[in-house]
Amino acid sequence: MASSGLKNFYRQKKKGGVAKRSSNRSFAGKSPTVSLSHLVDPVPSPLHGTLLSSRCSGAGRDKVPLAAGIGEEEDEKLRQFDMDMRYGPCIGLSRTDRWERAAAMGLNPPAEVETILLKSSAAASGCLWDGRV
Amino acid sequence: MELRDIAPFPTSCFPSSLFPTMRADVEMNEESSKLFEREQAIYNNLDERFEIHKEKYKGQQYSHIYFSRLHHMRNLLYSLVPNWKPNLPVKTILGLEEGKECIIVGTIYKHMKLKPSILDEYSKERSKVPLVKPHNFVHPDDHLILEDESGRVTLTGSLLDPSAFVTGIVVALHGKETSEGDFFVEDMLEAGIPPQTELPLSSIQCIKNVTYVSPLQLGILGCLIILAGEDKYVVFVSGLSIGSSIFNPLQFQLLVDHITGHLGDRNEQSIASQIVHVVVAGNSVQIPQVLLSGHTIAPRDQSTLTEPIKELDILLNQLVAAMPVDIMPGPNDPANFSLPQQPLNRCLFPGASAYNTFMSCTNPHQFELDDILFLGTSGQNIDDLFKYSEAKNRLEFLEKTLKWRHLVPTAPNTVGCYPFTDRDPFLIESCPHVYFIGNQDKYETTLVQGPEKQLVRLICIPKFCETGNAVVLNLRNLECHTLSFPTSLDL
Repeated sequence: MASSGLKNFYRQKKKGGVAKRSSNRSFAGKSPTVSLSHLVDPVPSPLHGTLLSSRCSGAGRDKVPLAAGIGEEEDEKLRQFDMDMRYGPCIGLSRTDRWERAAAMGLNPPAEVETILLKSSAAASGCLWDGRV
Repeated sequence: MELRDIAPFPTSCFPSSLFPTMRADVEMNEESSKLFEREQAIYNNLDERFEIHKEKYKGQQYSHIYFSRLHHMRNLLYSLVPNWKPNLPVKTILGLEEGKECIIVGTIYKHMKLKPSILDEYSKERSKVPLVKPHNFVHPDDHLILEDESGRVTLTGSLLDPSAFVTGIVVALHGKETSEGDFFVEDMLEAGIPPQTELPLSSIQCIKNVTYVSPLQLGILGCLIILAGEDKYVVFVSGLSIGSSIFNPLQFQLLVDHITGHLGDRNEQSIASQIVHVVVAGNSVQIPQVLLSGHTIAPRDQSTLTEPIKELDILLNQLVAAMPVDIMPGPNDPANFSLPQQPLNRCLFPGASAYNTFMSCTNPHQFELDDILFLGTSGQNIDDLFKYSEAKNRLEFLEKTLKWRHLVPTAPNTVGCYPFTDRDPFLIESCPHVYFIGNQDKYETTLVQGPEKQLVRLICIPKFCETGNAVVLNLRNLECHTLSFPTSLDL
């Protein structure tokens, strides 16, 4: 049962800096991915990535592939925008829609987020929790 | 001045619902001067915010509606707080400090012991017969919690009686945090009745005194205003329940005949000619429950599914041929379950939808007739309030929703609702002049005065199949009376 769920995680697109950090560390202890490691590339699932969040400022960002055309800094800004409670919940809404909603409500969302969203349609249509919730 | 003079104007000047009926009246005028002309009213449909055909469901949850609602209502309450208690600080819930008096704004959540939970369904057997209509779920142990984005806090104190409140309303509270971590409430502020545009009744009355003005100068609107100044009536009917065992076709036929002027002598016909609009407020059909149990229906039984709708179409056909009709879906009608219910499909009414006086509307329904704002539902909002709170009568629930400035405060908690992401369409921004609900047990009406000279006529429309009563409203002075068609033979 667990393996079929993890296979769904593995279906995620892998881009750029996915395996930058050593993948072995995420398999510490009783990780269920160990059983599949001989079958599939040992790409750590985002779920395990979140457990290692202590070193970086954002939660588990380094394990999830960055969206096309976005650098790390800009990705960080988008993440901050997603987590900011002032603009409301972020799940179930594309970032562009959320930004527009915040603007329509007069909440003054940061304009730099809008420029990043216009640059990359992949980042604009998703949100921080895509595929993880 | 004759109506004939108006005919040469291009069609685009006319609101579309007016033109065909006026021409018919003109022809009747030429044939016989004894026929009455039906009055007209300028109709403006404001249902756009309840329509969801542009929405795309992306898997979102209901948190967005609550966020929208809290955001709008909070801004409103923040603007009202300085007039209410100017010297107290306004805080968020997590920013509460023990013992310090302050004001907090949030959404109320009522924790109810008897509230049915979805998990109960798994413990009982699935039955084919629908459960008996649930009664009130209020319990003395219910308590209130106030919630905003930062956190929630339990409310204590004797000021707020939980049985008068429901989950989903946004209020401002003055009080302080106790040592147990609860919030002791000292005072409460509701948003209050929203602002209302003043009724243009007086302007219509004075124009009546003008003797002659050329129609070309005034334009079509001017001509109609001169013709007005008479009584104009709107008929509300709901709960026809065609297809149910208690439906009496004679009763509804009598209603239709009376409204269209086919009944009675000249006096009655003159009264009927002053009816400008009909609103059918929900539950027009009732499909026999046994057919909806999920079993496949044999082809010979399939006609019983469509019989009630066909009958409704035939009867509506007679109505729409005479005047504009708005039909709203209700809990038993073939429309979606969650609010806002979308308009009944025009395919269901092949006969009636050919007329442009036929208007299929959403539930809730908002429209303007001669600048008088109407707002109403088919009853789901008040029926739900009745299940989860207490009040003197249904009219008090109506008044409360106006004071809370929200049509359906219990959506999406206990009333099905579409998960909007960018707005909460049930917020009442401007106060209607007429506020109605359909499918109630009895006819009740009252006139509510607001603190800023708002005047609202509240109407509870009774179920026609049970009571035989329709409600008639006079647009000139907002007075209401019933139109009763008893067909029992007890004398």
